[in-house]
Amino acid sequence: MNEEQTWILQAKNGSDEAFTYIVETYQTPVYNLCYRMLGHPQAAEDAAQETFLRAYQHLHRYDMKRSFATWLLSIAAHYCIDRLRKRKLPVFSVDEDEETTFQIPDAQALHPEGEAVRGEHREQVHQLVQTLDTTDRAAIVMRYWYEFSEKEIAEALNLTVSAVKSRLHRARKQLGKIWQESSTTAQVERSPYESPAF
Amino acid sequence: MNHRPFEDWLLDDQLLDPAQKRELDGHLRSCEICSAIAESNLALRSARVVGPAPGFTARFQERLVLARRAQRRRTLLGTLFFSLGGMLLLAALAGPTLVSVLGSPAEWISAMIQALLFIYTTLLAVTEAGSVIFRVMPGFMPPFVWLILLSTLSGLGLLWSVSIWRLMRRPQGVQA
Repeated sequence: MNEEQTWILQAKNGSDEAFTYIVETYQTPVYNLCYRMLGHPQAAEDAAQETFLRAYQHLHRYDMKRSFATWLLSIAAHYCIDRLRKRKLPVFSVDEDEETTFQIPDAQALHPEGEAVRGEHREQVHQLVQTLDTTDRAAIVMRYWYEFSEKEIAEALNLTVSAVKSRLHRARKQLGKIWQESSTTAQVERSPYESPAF
Repeated sequence: MNHRPFEDWLLDDQLLDPAQKRELDGHLRSCEICSAIAESNLALRSARVVGPAPGFTARFQERLVLARRAQRRRTLLGTLFFSLGGMLLLAALAGPTLVSVLGSPAEWISAMIQALLFIYTTLLAVTEAGSVIFRVMPGFMPPFVWLILLSTLSGLGLLWSVSIWRLMRRPQGVQA
């Protein structure tokens, strides 16, 4: 039994200290998933808190043979999917993101220009993901941010492996299409007075 | 090679050998659709992990305290509601009987004695009939019928015991 499993076992036996350790360890992955799913920092904070609360209440159901991260992120993904289905969330604001989220430091962020381009890129990625269907979005987030295998995604989202493959295929196609459209629009916006003749 | 296999390689995120990679690179230079898919894949792969604002754990602990308090309140209210409801239901059901008993106790006691006598005489009659059947039946039934009957009863008993044992067993690890 490794250290993490010991903490989980202690939390299962009612230790608040052990559960606090779990929250400390998994707060960033859970928050990131909620943020990528919901697109809004405040909603992500609320969803991440709710995820840990549900995990705390249902910890006795957790099977120690399974991966804890998959179990926890599965709770987060299902909560976000339900929430998105229940109501349309307000459109996120870039300014609000700056105020309430905490970016993990990037070692490459030494050049301001490069950082600005990367920031633009990140925003584009964030907006791209928001265009996807809720379950496709969860599958994409798990694949790209957490490097989950198709089997792990299937387990987390209660889908078959072939359904996950098909969802990832469809999502990538849609993302490529939107990426192409946005690149074309950006080119037009950057050179509004240019004539093809010159 | 046409566009389709390259698009499928990208959309299915397939592992490519060096020759396939070279072919794909060549195709990406000329195909806008595939290069958009490849770029969006790359952008997703290089996307950052976003963390919550500092103090997340403290905020969670506050929320946990509130959730526990709400749970305790719900349990208390539920217990009160069901206890009061049960008492009211009992009063509504037993009230008329209680009133009649308190109104005429002698009549109620004689009715009770009559009922007890009826049960006692019925039990006596059933026991008598059963003993007569047991005395008479062995003469009519051949030994192999008894054997079948006893085997069936033993089988049913065994089935019942196994069912109880399986129902009592604790589940080994519940899926979330």
